[in-house]
This record gives sequence, structure tokens and C-alpha cells, in this order.
Amino acid sequence: MARFKNKNKKALARPVKNQPSVDHITGQKIPKSFVFSRGKLPGPLRDLELDLRKLMLPHTALKLKEKKRNKLKDFLNVAGPMGVTHFLMISNPKSVPHLRVARTPQGPTITFEIQEYALAADIARSQARPSCPKELFSNSPLIVLSGFGSGGQHLKLTTIMFQNIFPAIDINTVKLSSCRRIVLLNYNNETKLIDFRHYSIRLQPIGVSQRIRKFVQKHEVPDLRNLQDVSDFVTKAGYGSESEADEESATVSLVSDLGRVNRASTKSAVRLQEIGPRMTLRLVKIEEGLCSGAVIFSEFGKEADDAHEEEDHED
Amino acid sequence: MAAELQPLEAAAAPAPRKRKPKHKKSKNPSKRVKQKASPMATAKPRQPSKKMKKLFRKRAREYHSDEEDDGDVEREEEPSSGDEEDFDVRDDGSGGSECDDEEDERGAQHGITRFVGGCRAFRVAFMKIMKKHLPDDPLGPILSAHKKLVAEKLAEDDAEHKKKGETKKEKQLAAENGHIKPANFLDAKEKFLIGVATKGVVKLFNAVSKAQNAQIGLNPSKSKDTKVLAKRRKQAFFSELQKTNTQVSNSRKEEKSNVTGWAPLRDSYMLTSSKLKDWDKMAEPAAVVGQEHESSESSDE
Repeated sequence: MARFKNKNKKALARPVKNQPSVDHITGQKIPKSFVFSRGKLPGPLRDLELDLRKLMLPHTALKLKEKKRNKLKDFLNVAGPMGVTHFLMISNPKSVPHLRVARTPQGPTITFEIQEYALAADIARSQARPSCPKELFSNSPLIVLSGFGSGGQHLKLTTIMFQNIFPAIDINTVKLSSCRRIVLLNYNNETKLIDFRHYSIRLQPIGVSQRIRKFVQKHEVPDLRNLQDVSDFVTKAGYGSESEADEESATVSLVSDLGRVNRASTKSAVRLQEIGPRMTLRLVKIEEGLCSGAVIFSEFGKEADDAHEEEDHED
Repeated sequence: MAAELQPLEAAAAPAPRKRKPKHKKSKNPSKRVKQKASPMATAKPRQPSKKMKKLFRKRAREYHSDEEDDGDVEREEEPSSGDEEDFDVRDDGSGGSECDDEEDERGAQHGITRFVGGCRAFRVAFMKIMKKHLPDDPLGPILSAHKKLVAEKLAEDDAEHKKKGETKKEKQLAAENGHIKPANFLDAKEKFLIGVATKGVVKLFNAVSKAQNAQIGLNPSKSKDTKVLAKRRKQAFFSELQKTNTQVSNSRKEEKSNVTGWAPLRDSYMLTSSKLKDWDKMAEPAAVVGQEHESSESSDE
């Protein structure tokens, strides 16, 4: 049925239901985003686009339907009434993937060149115990920017842009249980590359032996064959894993209870596990308008600018 | 012989006697011979007639049927060719002697000769082909007369396939440009990045715990406490900010000074343009607007 009815529709974006446009805590507008592609993308890049959409949840259109003939204008028209503030666009000019982050309606556009990327599925495959429960995506991620302080104006603009993409958190009222994900952007001054990583946060109580912790968390009945008494199980000194040494510095004392194991005012360790796409970005261009306007910063120089602009006009 | 003996004996015997039976001899010489020959024939074998000779020859031929001899075949053909004049091929059928099939079918002679006739032609053609020295073509030996055309066409098809394959491979490579598979283990760089992220999270959680611990006792809705809250928060917040390294910055927004816990209670709820922020105070530009004053006024309202 959809095949015939959608003939005349242009931009197709399902309205986001039950999404507040203003954060009831901070009183500020919650930024929403659209992630879409410009031009035809090859297979892995399409998967990257889906991964980025998942990353931006919940304030994004997960099942955004884009058609070939949809131009940037169509997305702009839909963005206004829906309160969408940012666009993330993936394009593939000359077989080099690019990512553009822009603020609607007239905001600046930052163009990155994606030098390397790995999909969420690749990362899950490379891990021994991948875990990506769906509850992670019911809250927005935190964002950590590091290494940007040393750069110039363009880097500052980048940091502001990324900070604005994700909704702000109020430390006084935020619930720690809602901070489940973190996005890291690390700028390397020597290579001028930005590493983009996406982790999930897990809290584990320390001070308990590993066996008891596992038993409580997983509800697996332990093997007590070789033990004489339950006290052996409880008090036996187990070897700590090598990562536990690193956790010494990563301990937090929690305010509230988080689940059964992490009790308030006890020490817990913060453990991160990588989920989601991994990218290495290089800042290429910053424009004043939405994919148009004066070029504030450019990596290469004027000749490359003209070439890039021609591609933009073709899109 | 017998006849000669008798006249000798007759002559020898009647030499002393006179020749009496003269007219007897001249009258019936053949009778005497016959009479004397018939008893002699039974003693010695008869000579075979012409028909019998033919039969004997046939049998001799059949006796040599297992041998592969052209001569046999030719001999066989000649008499039988005399019988039948239907088939055209006579001399060419010799090729069939080399065929294995022929041996089995020699029984039916007329049928054999026909088959043998066809096999001879095949044999000649086959020998010609085998003798021909063919160039070692990657496309295989071409037997047809249109050698060149076929070879060209096959070469074209090959080239087309190669082109298609190459373009496909190029496309696939271009699609995978930049896509890397991560390693199974955590290398140093990844560990460093995880460390950086962990530090950020830890700092945030500590700040949160500090800030929230301070207000455990205070209820954000009460107006009395908002002042205390605001002060504490500001102090805590700024102290935390100073503590944190310049490297790590979190996405905490700066809070406004006269903030209450719940957004609708604030003055600046839904007022996005800052010009209208203090619309009730615009009439008093001279008044010193301190933060404490503001908060006290708002609490009075």
C-alpha cells in the first residue's frame, strides 16, 4: 500500500512521538538531529549511517526515510516544525567518505573527512563479550572532548558544536542511572586527527571478591564441589584480573543505589566497554551557512575549496 | 590303360592263334572301354566338379574369417559383388577392417559390406584430422573451416569478461575505502582513549555526587532553600571546574544564578531571548541588580 500512496510525497520523516522539545529540568531546548546521507552510499557507509542514528538516540529519527530525490531543502522544511536543530550528513564524494555536522537553519557547517571507520558490528565481533542492551539507548550519551584546548578558533567552534548536539545535563538533578553511554572526541595535535569513540558505562562494586560479585550479578549457581564449607567460597582469596589494578583510579562513590550491587556511598569502579562506530576524522572545512556561505576555515586552501563547492552544488 | 592291356593281351594271346574277333573289336570299342572303365572308377576317386570347387573356395574363405586381412575382405567382396550391385562404395570399405565393430558383424555378410563401406570414409577423414598438426590454442583445437572468425569471437568474449571482473573488483575496493576491521585486542592507543574517557566519567560522577550529597537534606521546591541551594551549587560548580584539568571538559551547561529546581518556576522559562529576561526591572535601570537581590525579589513574587 505504501508503494502507491507515497508517490507524491517528498521528504518522508515520521513525527517523533512523545518527545519533549524543552527539557523540563534545565528549561532549555532539547537538541534533535537528523542523520541522513547525501548521494548514493556504498554498503558499509550505509551501515555507518545507521550506527550514527543509533548513537544519537533518543533525540533523533531512527527510521528516517529518505528518498533519492530528497534534497537538503526538503529536510530543512521538515526540520522547522519538528524542532530539529542539527543535521549529520554522510556523503561519499570521489570515494572518500565525509561527515558534515550542521546546525539548522542557518548554522555553521563543519565538514570532516572520515579517514577510517569501523562499524558497531565489527567492534562487537572483535570483542570477547560484546554487550549492547537496548536500555542503553533510552538516554542521551554524555560527551567528553579532550585535546581541543590547544587548537585555534576552528577547534573551539567544533567543541561548541558537539556540545550543543547532545542535551545538557544538570549535575544537581541528573540521575546517574540515566548516564549509560559516553561519546569521546579526542583531538591529536600532532596528526590533527580526531578520534571518535562510543562507550557504554558499567559500574561494578569493588571490595568484593570476583566470585561473589559474579554470583550476585549473574545469579549463576557456583560450583562448590571442591569446597568443604560455604565460608571457603566467601573468604577465598581470588586472583584479581589485571584490569582491576587500573580500576583503583577509576573509583567513584555513588550517591544513590544503582541496581542491586552498587549501593550508595560505597565505592564502585567505572568500566567502559566500546560499542558503536569508531571513526577517525579530519577537520576539512567550516562554512558559515548550511552547506553554503563563506568558508571560515579550510584545511587545504582556496583551490580545494572551489572543488568541494562544486560538489556541493551538484548535490 | 585297361583298354591297352586288353588288345595287347588279345594280341599276345591269339598271336599263336589266328585273329578271329576282328569285327567284334571294331564294332564296339567304346562299350568295351566303358565296361572296363566303370569297375575301375569305383576303385579310384572322382575329380570335383566346378560347383564343388566354388563351394570349397567359400569354405576356405570362411576358415580365415578371424584374421584381419585386406585380402580376405577383397576376396570376400569380389564374389559377393557379383551378386549384388546396389552399393556404391567398394574400395572405400576397407577402412572398416580396422573398425572393431566389423569383426562382430562379419556373420551377416551383406550388412557388413555396407557398414564397412561407411567406415572406410570415416577412417580416411579421421586419419587426416589426426595427421594435421594443430597449434596449441588456449581456446582448444578448432576444426571448422571458419577458424579465424571463431577464434576472434572467443577472444572478444574473454576480454569482455575480464573487463567486467576488473571493474567489479575496483568498485568493491572503492566501497570499502576507509573501512577497517578493529583488532581483537586492545592496543595501546585504545587503552589510552578508554582511560581518557574513564577519567572524564569519574570526574563527572564525583562532581555529581558532591553536588547531590550537599542537597540531600534540601527540598528543591521550597523557596527558602533555593538560595542556599543556589549558593552551594555555584560554589561547588566553580570549584569543580577549577579542579578539572584543562584537558577534560564536560558538557555541563553553566547554570543561571537564580535557578530553581523545576524549570517552570523559573523566571526565564520559555523566554529564549535574553532581552526580555528582566522585563520587570527595565523601568529601574538605576537599581543595582545583584544576584542576591534578584533572587530575593523572585522569591518574594
